Amino acid sequence: MNPKHIEKIIEDHRSGNQTGLISLLEEIQAKYSYLPEEALRIVAQKMGCSLVELYGVATFYRAFSLKPRGKHLISVCLGTACHVRGGDIIGAEFQRQLAIKPGETTSDKEITLETVNCLGACALGPIVVVDGHYFSNVAVQKVKEITHRAKAGLDHIDARSDERIFPVEVSCPRCNHSLMDKNRYIDGYPSIRVTVSFNLKHGWLRLSCLYGSFSVDYEYEIPVDEVVNFFCPYCHAELQSSSICTDCGAPMVPLLVRGGGMVQICSRRGCKGHMLDLTGINL
Amino acid sequence: MITLHINGLSVSVEEGTTLLEAAQFIGFPIPTLCHKDGLSSYGACRLCLVEIGEGPKAKLVSSCTYPAEEGLQVRTSSSRVMKARRIILELLLGSCPQSKTVQDLASAYGIRQQRFKQEYENCILCGLCVRMCEEQMMAKAIGFRSRGEKRSIGTPFDIQSEDCRRCGACIYVCPACQLRCTYTEPERVICGGCANLPAPCLEKEGFDDMMCYMAPCVACEIKKD
Amino acid sequence: MERLKSIDEFQFLHDRLISERDPDSPTIIIPAGTCGQASGANDLIRITKRELLNKKLTEKIRLRITGCHGFCEMEPSILIEPYGTFYPKVNPKKMVHIVEAVAKGDVLKDLLFIDPKTGNPIEKQADIPFFKKQVRTLLCRNEKIDPIRIFNYIENNGYLVVAKMLSSGNPRWVIEEIKASGLRGRGGAGFPTGLKWERLANQPNGNGKFIVCNADEGDPGAYMDRSLLEGNPHSIIEGMIIGAYGTGATKGIIYVRNEYPLAIKHLLIALRQANQLRVLGENILGTRFSFDIKIVRGAGAFVCGEETALIKSIEGKMGEPRQRPPFPVEKGIHGEPTSINNVETWANIPIIIGLGAQEFAKIGTKENTGTKIFSLVGKIKNTGLVEVPMGITIEKIVNEIGDGQIDQISIKAVQTGGPSGGCIPAEMFHLPIDYESLVKAGSIMGSGGMIVMDEHTCMVDVAKYFMKFLKEESCGKCFICRKGTQRMYEILDDISAGRGTLEHLGLLEELGSVVKDASLCGLGQTSPNPVLSTLRYFRQEYVEHIQKKRCPAGVCKDLITYTITENCTGCQLCLKSCPAEAIRGEKKERHRIDSKKCNKCGVCKSVCKFDAVETR
Repeated sequence: MNPKHIEKIIEDHRSGNQTGLISLLEEIQAKYSYLPEEALRIVAQKMGCSLVELYGVATFYRAFSLKPRGKHLISVCLGTACHVRGGDIIGAEFQRQLAIKPGETTSDKEITLETVNCLGACALGPIVVVDGHYFSNVAVQKVKEITHRAKAGLDHIDARSDERIFPVEVSCPRCNHSLMDKNRYIDGYPSIRVTVSFNLKHGWLRLSCLYGSFSVDYEYEIPVDEVVNFFCPYCHAELQSSSICTDCGAPMVPLLVRGGGMVQICSRRGCKGHMLDLTGINL
Repeated sequence: MITLHINGLSVSVEEGTTLLEAAQFIGFPIPTLCHKDGLSSYGACRLCLVEIGEGPKAKLVSSCTYPAEEGLQVRTSSSRVMKARRIILELLLGSCPQSKTVQDLASAYGIRQQRFKQEYENCILCGLCVRMCEEQMMAKAIGFRSRGEKRSIGTPFDIQSEDCRRCGACIYVCPACQLRCTYTEPERVICGGCANLPAPCLEKEGFDDMMCYMAPCVACEIKKD
Repeated sequence: MERLKSIDEFQFLHDRLISERDPDSPTIIIPAGTCGQASGANDLIRITKRELLNKKLTEKIRLRITGCHGFCEMEPSILIEPYGTFYPKVNPKKMVHIVEAVAKGDVLKDLLFIDPKTGNPIEKQADIPFFKKQVRTLLCRNEKIDPIRIFNYIENNGYLVVAKMLSSGNPRWVIEEIKASGLRGRGGAGFPTGLKWERLANQPNGNGKFIVCNADEGDPGAYMDRSLLEGNPHSIIEGMIIGAYGTGATKGIIYVRNEYPLAIKHLLIALRQANQLRVLGENILGTRFSFDIKIVRGAGAFVCGEETALIKSIEGKMGEPRQRPPFPVEKGIHGEPTSINNVETWANIPIIIGLGAQEFAKIGTKENTGTKIFSLVGKIKNTGLVEVPMGITIEKIVNEIGDGQIDQISIKAVQTGGPSGGCIPAEMFHLPIDYESLVKAGSIMGSGGMIVMDEHTCMVDVAKYFMKFLKEESCGKCFICRKGTQRMYEILDDISAGRGTLEHLGLLEELGSVVKDASLCGLGQTSPNPVLSTLRYFRQEYVEHIQKKRCPAGVCKDLITYTITENCTGCQLCLKSCPAEAIRGEKKERHRIDSKKCNKCGVCKSVCKFDAVETR
């Protein structure tokens, strides 16, 4: 845990649309998966509140954890509607199979189990959320399957066989030159070639044209979390839109879609933020 | 000056006076547990409740925090108040029976038994120690953590605090542990008399060299003699 | 996006967007709120985008992704404008056919909603009884608006009211209109909003006044606010701008619970867009009026929905309530005057100012004007969000809109107001829904959660569930609430485990009435409601748990045993499905359940095809 990172989070927090000590702690937790003791001491010092008060806040709210969490988070909803449909039986089954209580992490540090008081999807109870993915109408028999899929990683998609993934053909929004590169294939399709620059380096970047796949190939290794500038390799204009990524706040990169539309991807390495708009919709 | 009516008697007080102060001024007794002169009012123990208002809008409020209002009707011993006080004392007996303060209060109201599962907690979360440490001793070494059943008082991360000066004020002011140590001789502030019950700070297991937020605890120091 | 420098420029933009609209072009609308996404709407969206691109239909057919429409039972659903065709529970494999049909102007009859009473398909959403019987003033806008596109909102007359209000230059008029409309706070207490605002307006300006949107919808089972925040965030922003203008507030805060990540995301986008366009921020639309809104996230504390605890939470402290007076309108956030209102209240504001107070007051009853959104969930056929005029009977909602019970199991009660409310038995369903009637019946309106319970719901279990929730959510500051909820839970636990005595019932009532009287804040004061109301109407269930040690609904685990009857054919299905491996038996022979291993999960009963598993 790097003290400089914490100080940066505090700095960034002062500007921006979110405010309050609690939002700040949530951002720290989002990065480290829990609130380290060292981080709390730095926050108390920088924000001018006593450590006693800050510790009280960190323990008062259920969303905060002072212990490191597992790789995957399984949240079982215990709202009234889910309870009436058998939610507590699902919770009990998870506890039995994973051999831990809510708030605890498995010994192999893979899974943390927690209970939540109503996620607001009451018509589809019982609900279980794993790493942000929602499972509805969960039956007791499904518990084992959900645990397996959690361990395998729910963000893993098989680009070839998944029907929801499809190729797009893109061109530069400024000069309209096609950006497709038939000489280099990624995921079985022609790749998209752009020029990128970061840290005084300038080189090519190739993206998969499959909407939903995040495979990339690059000339220079780009460090994770680095925000990179994108350029059209033909007219050399910078590809930048006025939108910012809703996941990480970095600028979005627009690419014109053949057939009518615009796809935007996040310019931060490792961030999966993206949007596909079809024409006929303004802004 | 504000004029209000307590149990039918009119009394004029300065603005900012609480109902508790006004009632004590004209001599009506109201039991308290988490209130102490010199510390800010907290309103947590609910023993100082009084009934205010008239008719269906009448309600119970804690007199230690409620400011005097012009023309307010206050009743310090109405049936609603007494019913509440008795149940609160019964609950206190059910959780902290070893505290002499609680025992005295309960017997003053004629409560001989409690109908709940008996617990032996050594803290009623009145917050006197927290306020003492912050307001009188200016140390702010201990505070509240968590909420609901799990609410407790202690130092951040449960380790020895650099802000704690070992002054002992928290133990002095605690209704659950101080008078327990007084046993039957009120002149002796701390004795080792209650041999069957250790001081609360000693009960934390796994804290071999660090008993509580004070190391060593004053109570155990004297016990060594 | 250009910044609008004046009200005239806004008007020009609005007129331009209206003129560019093509009312006849077909639009595929896909609701993708949290429920929609949880049931697979994202797949439908992807496939639709793929089809539109591949078949080169992007100029001909539009795609609009919206928030919840309300008929959650039928998600994922598709709506086709301008015809109003409604396709329920769409299978991703059929999406391709739907896109084709829309391109041709056809309707796929076998994919339509089937009326359960007649067996006939219904094509238009407006004709489906669930929708027809509602008065969807607020919810109807969710279908028309893509929440992350501000121009879409303006096209639907969004922010028009703000422009008109700024032109009039009369803040006092705003307060008078809200007072005349009779709007009462939709958060549960029902305090007249106009009165609260008038008090705030009369406070001196000092360091700046606050208005807050309380989006900490903590009641389990209630999600109306979530659907409004996700589906139409600009309506809340517009409401707050109007409120700020009327009361003289300079700072706005939206306090959202962090269990609603999509709502937070949409709000952040909406705030950014509103700021960019200059309908929010410094010198709004070129006038001297400035007002900005920030978001504060909650962190998993139900008690922070209470006004004074909310203020503490915004200040970055533990969410402990305090006594009132002083009220938040006098001393709120950092000691400044603050008005806190619920999400639904804010959403109603632009409608009132736009329609006019008299028009708004025509819906509902005299003391309870306007509509209210309820989340109808639980053991009922049509679960979802229903918006109805105040004063409608419970019976109408449950039977006409909700379409009554599932299968043969009759409905026993309806729980309103979340953990602060109570249960209303079926015999009292003729009651009108308004603030006063519900309080008289022992419940409260609350934020609008309406949970339907049937014969298989145990009322003791329900009371125990709410008490467990409340004792965990209690802040713990005042002794009576902390200990009172804990002890009430202990007693209920004893009763549901067969250790109860009849004296316990009297003790519950005595303790409950003291907790109600002596607690510091609303959470404690209303915490005994679930117990007291179930004791009032369903006392015989409690008595049966105590005297006969039996749970009539078959729920309380310690009082039921699972056994296999002679109907068993020995198919081994339950044996294989039992997670505790508690069933033994040979093929074609009657199986047995080992009661020591059985954890009463109910899987065997749900998989048995021969109805051979019984609970006693």
